[in-house]
Amino acid sequence: MKRLQIGLLFLIAIIAIASCEKDDICVEGDTPLLVIEFYNVTDTSALKSVPSLRVVGVGQSVTVNTVSDRTSLNTISIPLKTEADETSFILINNSASADDGSETGNVDTINFSYKRLEDFLSRGCGFVVNYDELNADLTTDDTNWIQDIEIINSQVTNADSTHVKIFH
Amino acid sequence: MSRYFTNLSFLLFTCLVISQSKPIDLNPKDSVVYEQSYGISVGIDLSRIITSSLDDNYNGFEIVADYRLKPDLYVAAELGNEEKTKQEDLYNFTTSGSYLKVGVNKNNYANWYGEHNLIYLGGRIAFSTFENTLNNYQYFNTNRYWNENDFSNGSDVPENFSGLSATWLEAVFGTKVELFSNLYMGASIRLGLIIAQKEDERFPNLWIPGFNKVTFDSNFGVGYNYSISYFLPLYKKKNKVKKKIEKSETNKEQL
Repeated sequence: MKRLQIGLLFLIAIIAIASCEKDDICVEGDTPLLVIEFYNVTDTSALKSVPSLRVVGVGQSVTVNTVSDRTSLNTISIPLKTEADETSFILINNSASADDGSETGNVDTINFSYKRLEDFLSRGCGFVVNYDELNADLTTDDTNWIQDIEIINSQVTNADSTHVKIFH
Repeated sequence: MSRYFTNLSFLLFTCLVISQSKPIDLNPKDSVVYEQSYGISVGIDLSRIITSSLDDNYNGFEIVADYRLKPDLYVAAELGNEEKTKQEDLYNFTTSGSYLKVGVNKNNYANWYGEHNLIYLGGRIAFSTFENTLNNYQYFNTNRYWNENDFSNGSDVPENFSGLSATWLEAVFGTKVELFSNLYMGASIRLGLIIAQKEDERFPNLWIPGFNKVTFDSNFGVGYNYSISYFLPLYKKKNKVKKKIEKSETNKEQL
């Protein structure tokens, strides 16, 4: 009978432990952001900040929420669309508003195209999107402040490493 | 001095009387033979039937059976079929399949005369084949720049993953009580440990028929059942428990 009690206690203890669920919240990961670094076009190994940078997603009326607006930055992380295979961003150098509200900075548009890879992370997270075969395309105009774009890492699976270098 | 001798001889005499009284058998053996029934018991799990009727997202049944092999040892098996649809935060899936569990139960309950109840510990090896259908899903993304109000849609087209299987070991703690003659009501809780499973790379097994919920990064799972079963006696045999009692009595005498 004593053995039975020990067995019962053991089973209850294991069930109590097993029922503590850590997997209802998502801690395993996230859909990654695209990391862009700005480099000097004349000295391609040196980071160069973009003064008063403003980043707006094409089709959106507000600036990208992961970039502090109109500040001098040399690295930005921006979200790509998870429901489409391409995302365009407007990057404004020296952004400022004129008296009538119009933009006075230099406006360049980059279109990122990619392949979306679905990844099931865990019960709590479900599916996230990773990106592969990343390509960047600059819309050329008379006064591009962006001189060159280089894809460092065409696979976007985390926001820890740089994916794109922009030279200016 | 003589008084001491008198006392001593008196004491020894008493001892003699006590030791002499022992060999006399004042309790002759009970000649009535108590025979216990052996046979097969078959039943169904009530919890799965009740859950099926109450929960729109669940459908299942389980047949339970055991065979009394020795006074305290039973060979036991469960055969079932389950289908469950689960809505998680960002996805919805349906798992359906069948399972078979085979093992033994060891009764630890000392029945009184005429009782046929069980409190048992048992073990099973269980196998399940099933398929998963991913009904719909959205992409998890903490950044809400492109989708302010909701997560973006992944797919609404059901996607099927078939040919999945799992093998697990189960520890069982349960009880079975005779309600009426040969009709038993039972309950058990089970702790499962997955030893092998075949899952799809794209969508892992989150729920296994018979095993229940699969916890992420863990091979343990818990389950239960409430069964009602009928015992079909096949033959009767004298129980050997009596011998044990006799033995313990002789032990006492030796002491």
